Amino acid sequence: MSQKSKPLEKNGATNINKTSVWSRAFTANSEWLDKEEFLDVIYWIRQVLGVILGVVWGVLPLKGFFGLALFIVINAVVLYLYYSNFQGVDEEEYGGPWELTKEGFITSFAGFLVTWIIIYTGLHYEKLEEL
Amino acid sequence: MWADTLLIVFISICTALLGEGLTWLMVYRTDRYQKLKAEVEKQSKKLEKRKEIHGDSLDKQQKKKLEREEDRLKHNNRDLSFVKMKSMFAIGFAFTALLSMFNNIFDGRVVARLPFFPVTWIQGLSHRNLPGNDYYDCSFIFLYILCTMSIRQNIQKVLGFAPSRAASKQGNSLFGPAPGQFK
Repeated sequence: MSQKSKPLEKNGATNINKTSVWSRAFTANSEWLDKEEFLDVIYWIRQVLGVILGVVWGVLPLKGFFGLALFIVINAVVLYLYYSNFQGVDEEEYGGPWELTKEGFITSFAGFLVTWIIIYTGLHYEKLEEL
Repeated sequence: MWADTLLIVFISICTALLGEGLTWLMVYRTDRYQKLKAEVEKQSKKLEKRKEIHGDSLDKQQKKKLEREEDRLKHNNRDLSFVKMKSMFAIGFAFTALLSMFNNIFDGRVVARLPFFPVTWIQGLSHRNLPGNDYYDCSFIFLYILCTMSIRQNIQKVLGFAPSRAASKQGNSLFGPAPGQFK
């Protein structure tokens, strides 16, 4: 018995440490021993969110200041819900909510603008030009 | 117009890869850079941890020690910037030439339509070298800058060349705050 349980324990222990960042990112209340890792997750979620919102805004199409403001609000709110409600991390550990809110924001904003402009130009403006 | 838009995205992916490739060739792969980078990262993490543990409750001696370490970190950070600088200048020159070439190619061409009205201080960029007063028209340079902002940063991140957060938080490089601080 003791022989059997030993490797199990070992496996269990390594599994906790090595659970991939991916699965932890999508599991509620995961443990984040490495702050950098969690900040990276926040960073990449922001990038993906930026591109997705860019595509949606372009297809709809949303226009003007409203589109920009809505992106900023959604981006901040979604990530806030993610780290405070879903993951339940202590913001103070990461230097306050502002640090987490600005993590990857500018890059995400640029990615959003690029996709929004591209899709909008291709779907809605190109047609007008042809007419 | 859409072909131009996509072409610009493609161009900025290529230039970002080229830029990172050249920097890797001239900087990232050198022993000196790697040693300095590892050192700076180690020191920044150590310093951050120490600050976290002690908080404000430091006696004079500890404070002095902390300051000394901070100084060493700053020194190392400065060295790191110097190592980077030489190649950055070379790459900067090459890219300025490339950019002016693309600027000539796309001169006066509307490459995209903006879905928002650009604020006044952006109009100079978004309407650069374009005829007419329709500020919804987008120039090459504006789209290129936006593409580069998102693509280059992400490529750096994927390849692991982006400066670590601890390092950019702790030390100020030669030219003010490190780029990571603006994220």
